[in-house]
Amino acid sequence: MEISRKDFLKGAAGATGLLLLQPPAIALAKDTQTRDGMAMLIDVTKCVNCWWCYAACKKYNKLPETVKPDLEDPPELSPDIWTTLQPVKQGDRWVSRKKACNHCTEAACVEVCPTGALSYNHLGFVQYDKEKCSGCGYCAEYCPFGVPQMEKNNTITGVAIMNKCTFCQDRVTNGEQPACAAACTTGAITYGKRTDLITQAQERITELGRQNVDASAYGINELNGLHVMYILDSSPEVYGLPADPQVPAAGTVRDIFKWLGSGLAIAALAGFGLNYLVARLRLRGEEK
Amino acid sequence: MAEARVVERFKKRTIWFHWIHTASFLVLLVTGAILFLPGLGGAAAGGLTRSIHRIAVVFFVGAPVVYFILNPRMSLHFIKETLTWGQSDFEWLRSAPDYYFGGDEEKMPPQGHVNTGQKMWQLVVLVTGVLFLLSGIFMWFLKDTLSPGVFQWFVIVHDIAFILALLMLLVHVYLGIIHPRMTESLRSMWDGKISKTYARSHYGKWYDEEAKDKS
Repeated sequence: MEISRKDFLKGAAGATGLLLLQPPAIALAKDTQTRDGMAMLIDVTKCVNCWWCYAACKKYNKLPETVKPDLEDPPELSPDIWTTLQPVKQGDRWVSRKKACNHCTEAACVEVCPTGALSYNHLGFVQYDKEKCSGCGYCAEYCPFGVPQMEKNNTITGVAIMNKCTFCQDRVTNGEQPACAAACTTGAITYGKRTDLITQAQERITELGRQNVDASAYGINELNGLHVMYILDSSPEVYGLPADPQVPAAGTVRDIFKWLGSGLAIAALAGFGLNYLVARLRLRGEEK
Repeated sequence: MAEARVVERFKKRTIWFHWIHTASFLVLLVTGAILFLPGLGGAAAGGLTRSIHRIAVVFFVGAPVVYFILNPRMSLHFIKETLTWGQSDFEWLRSAPDYYFGGDEEKMPPQGHVNTGQKMWQLVVLVTGVLFLLSGIFMWFLKDTLSPGVFQWFVIVHDIAFILALLMLLVHVYLGIIHPRMTESLRSMWDGKISKTYARSHYGKWYDEEAKDKS
């Protein structure tokens, strides 16, 4: 009996060790996260609702193509639609904001992704590795812009791979611009260095001011800086953008619990070690 | 020669139930912990662990349901036992450190079929079981219906239940298997029996009132 008990203990200790002694290097390794790098500037005042960005995105990313959408009934983001327009009727004309992942510097999706499928690229955008996605959907639940789209959820297995704008990663890492920016003929989408685009946005706002258009920039400081910034002629809410986007507090609460739980478990194990030694010594004393 | 173990402490079906519940919980624990403990998330890539989690939960919930249907009287007794707390429980808690470190048995009030510490464990199993189940049902079936805010807080309820259950499980495993004075505990969960001496010293009240005449 003594031997089997010992073997059992060894096995149990090994399993517990595996569970609790995670190498801190992995846990603490931060992806390259930058406020600068490359970005896109979307100018709603220049958009003519041609949907070429939408079509180019579908074509380049080999997503199922559709007929040209109707401004009255614009398509929502979905696993097959990574960018779309959010049209707003102003008088008798339509003004649209191109809608897609905003590639935040402080990205809720990256913070909550348990498998590391979502991460920061050194160029500033939020990249993802489909192979690593577990389909948990935390990113979709936490994103303040409602961007990540899960493929149809299988009720039994819960498998549902996430999809969103990739910033045309293979293009931009090869020095090209994203497909949507390349397709835009009116200058409503500009791709470039984020610092340059901020200057460009400020100049454009001054210019619009001279034309009596009260424009403002969005995304310069939101979530520590978006890598898709906007020039808007109305308040952000009109175009479906939250005025003050935040990483949801639940994420921080979870982080605290994660470390609290791990800490308490390690403290308990240390306590057992101490207890075992003391109790064992006293027992030996009694036996003598 | 060790003393004969003749006092029946657990019935066969209870032992089966215990180990099925244990095995399924350990699977749930590991497949859940990789999403929760920092730095282990990579193991969940591809979503296979979630499928395993969902298969295990069928056993984890199914086992107590089946046990309850087959043994309603014993099950109700278990719940009543878990929820009944009295003066002797507080005395036990006060004297417990002296006993578990020093082996001082003098001040420990004689215990019933389970002692106060085991009752605490049973209480945690019941409470976290309900928390796990409720939050889990929402996370599994109502993910698309719930607003993101509500979903996030159900995940946190699952987290809190996890921490409570993990800590008490560690205590349970330590005392059941490792603590130098709990010599017959693990074996009794195998064949259901303990020796008279062990029964008298660990569960004095129960031994005198119920078990003595049967053994």
